[in-house]
Amino acid sequence: MTIAALIDKQDTFEIVRDQIGAILALEVASQMALATAAVRDPDDWKLRVFSERSNPWEQFLNDQSDGSPIVNVWVDNSNFDPKVSTVVERQKSETVYNVDCYGYGQSADNPAGGHTPGDREAAFEAHRALRLVRNILMAAEYTYLGLRGVVFRRWTQAITVFQPQQDASQVQQIVGARLVFRVEFNEFSPQIPLETLELLSADVNRTEDGQLIAEADYDYTI
Amino acid sequence: MSLRQLAEADLGAVLEDGATGFGWPITVTSPAEMSALLTGFSDDISQIIDPDTGQIVSGRLASIALRISSLTAAGFELPQGIADAAQKPWLVTFDDINGNSFTFKVMQSNPDRALGIVTCILELYRP
Repeated sequence: MTIAALIDKQDTFEIVRDQIGAILALEVASQMALATAAVRDPDDWKLRVFSERSNPWEQFLNDQSDGSPIVNVWVDNSNFDPKVSTVVERQKSETVYNVDCYGYGQSADNPAGGHTPGDREAAFEAHRALRLVRNILMAAEYTYLGLRGVVFRRWTQAITVFQPQQDASQVQQIVGARLVFRVEFNEFSPQIPLETLELLSADVNRTEDGQLIAEADYDYTI
Repeated sequence: MSLRQLAEADLGAVLEDGATGFGWPITVTSPAEMSALLTGFSDDISQIIDPDTGQIVSGRLASIALRISSLTAAGFELPQGIADAAQKPWLVTFDDINGNSFTFKVMQSNPDRALGIVTCILELYRP
């Protein structure tokens, strides 16, 4: 016996992955608009959001015209909890998403004296991106990531800063920061269409006038 | 002349021959903002495999190699990486083969005092 229906759906982990990216892109645009309204430089709130890219920071290597931080959302792993799941239909998943933030820095002349070191600027840019990402994803507006009824809980599990896998002595300075974001939700699997074996109906009537007070139907299925 | 002194003298032909060799004009600027046009080797490449280690490398690597005696003759000390943001860094400017000029900061200096050559690892710099 094979599965009767075409599996034509997104799993919840995919929906949540896309939702995290959409929230970040939407809120970055909103923050830039708010900054403009507040007569601040909107580029200080600019992030470029990607999903499931292996080396998005490659953009920094050959084109330095836009040095705004890059954010990449990708699925890392899922763990399923059998204690609060069923073997048939619903499995509770705790999925970890990595939200990697890459900051680019370029050494530059300081007209007031000295210079601005590119390695420090890259770290500061990565930290700025991390700050925006954490505040957006942990904002009260996104307690359930806009998917109430699907997402039970979202949580910043850890933050680590790292150097991307590149030669240490290359001309560009890039620093990465990873926000490990854990989201809990249910995953569902295809089911056998149920067939009714027996229908049990119950009516409750008032004796004096025969008025129907309550009625209930119970389907007994396989 | 010893073989070692001969090797240093040969740098003039090997490293600084811009007419028939690989010598390339490089402008060096010290933290005191003294500049001089020297001739040496310049590299600015993006590569996939590091030939030294065999490891995959992504990114852009730039370096120069200069004759130490030429630097000294021009009034320079050995270039070095400057970590202090309050100071100006050592800068080098050179064109690529298509005539596009790039300015770099010296990130790391690797002098070979035995043969009299210094190799500088570079980082992009916005003047």
